[in-house]
Amino acid sequence: MDFAKKIIDSTEEIFSTMIFIDISAEEGLFEGKQILDCHVSSMIGLSGDISAMLAIHCPGNIGLEIAGAMLGMELEEVDADVKDALGEIANMLAGGLKEKFAQENIHLELAIPTTVSGKGYSISSPTRSNRVIIPFNLKQGQFFVEMKYSLNT
Amino acid sequence: MEYAQHLITATQEIFSSMIMLDVAAGEPFKRSKETLKNSVSGIIGLTGTSKALLSIHLPNTMAIDVTTAFLGMEVQEVDEDVRDAIGELANMLGGNLKTALDPAGSNVQLSMPSVVYGEEYAIDSLADAITVTVPFDLDGKTFLVELQLRKES
Repeated sequence: MDFAKKIIDSTEEIFSTMIFIDISAEEGLFEGKQILDCHVSSMIGLSGDISAMLAIHCPGNIGLEIAGAMLGMELEEVDADVKDALGEIANMLAGGLKEKFAQENIHLELAIPTTVSGKGYSISSPTRSNRVIIPFNLKQGQFFVEMKYSLNT
Repeated sequence: MEYAQHLITATQEIFSSMIMLDVAAGEPFKRSKETLKNSVSGIIGLTGTSKALLSIHLPNTMAIDVTTAFLGMEVQEVDEDVRDAIGELANMLGGNLKTALDPAGSNVQLSMPSVVYGEEYAIDSLADAITVTVPFDLDGKTFLVELQLRKES
């Protein structure tokens, strides 16, 4: 199923066609201590053959950079525009994954995205679930795309 | 307000049957942008004919009390047991709500639950979702159950 490759491909497609920022993927992680430095996260639930939660986690300045590039405007703080833009990116990422899994006859459905922001939060998933985290580099720093999942047999 | 009623029914059923606690529903409202402080939030996506995000937000002390009642064991702080219990609570609420939204049983599915916790955070949805929040009273303290919903167009 190669989750990491699908996450990387979907993320790169969206950044090159919708956001116009060059990014490069790093080796996938299986736990996410770096994510603790992130101050804005958008996530979206997926169901179907895989039950999952997909998230993009950004430090505040990277969230502003990405949302600003997507919306074509200068952004100063993590406001409603930034949260909506990142939520939309989570939605597009999940859509990309859905399409890629469909080619392998794995059926997925999307819920709606939500954005978590703030100075002090962590996000956890059920202890028995699987987890893949891909760090992406851009000029100003890093962001992370995470998928937590379990297979529905 | 049909959704508020579904939330009330689901929450009261789950609390009385699984946690053995009676909770009183307050007046449904639309939560504004205030942040959640020292709280634990269980979140789960619904997909299919109803695309939605269901969340339960509990202050830390309530999350600990509810986990203690749910697991039948003493917990002292927001640890892995509490996070798993609140994620499972979101899952059970999602399952109950799914039955209300989709009595036939095949058109709505649940994603994996996720838990957000920390000192201070905000949880927002995309601008175009319908949001209903219901406060519940338990021993004089309040927790919130919230549904963000986008109808299939």
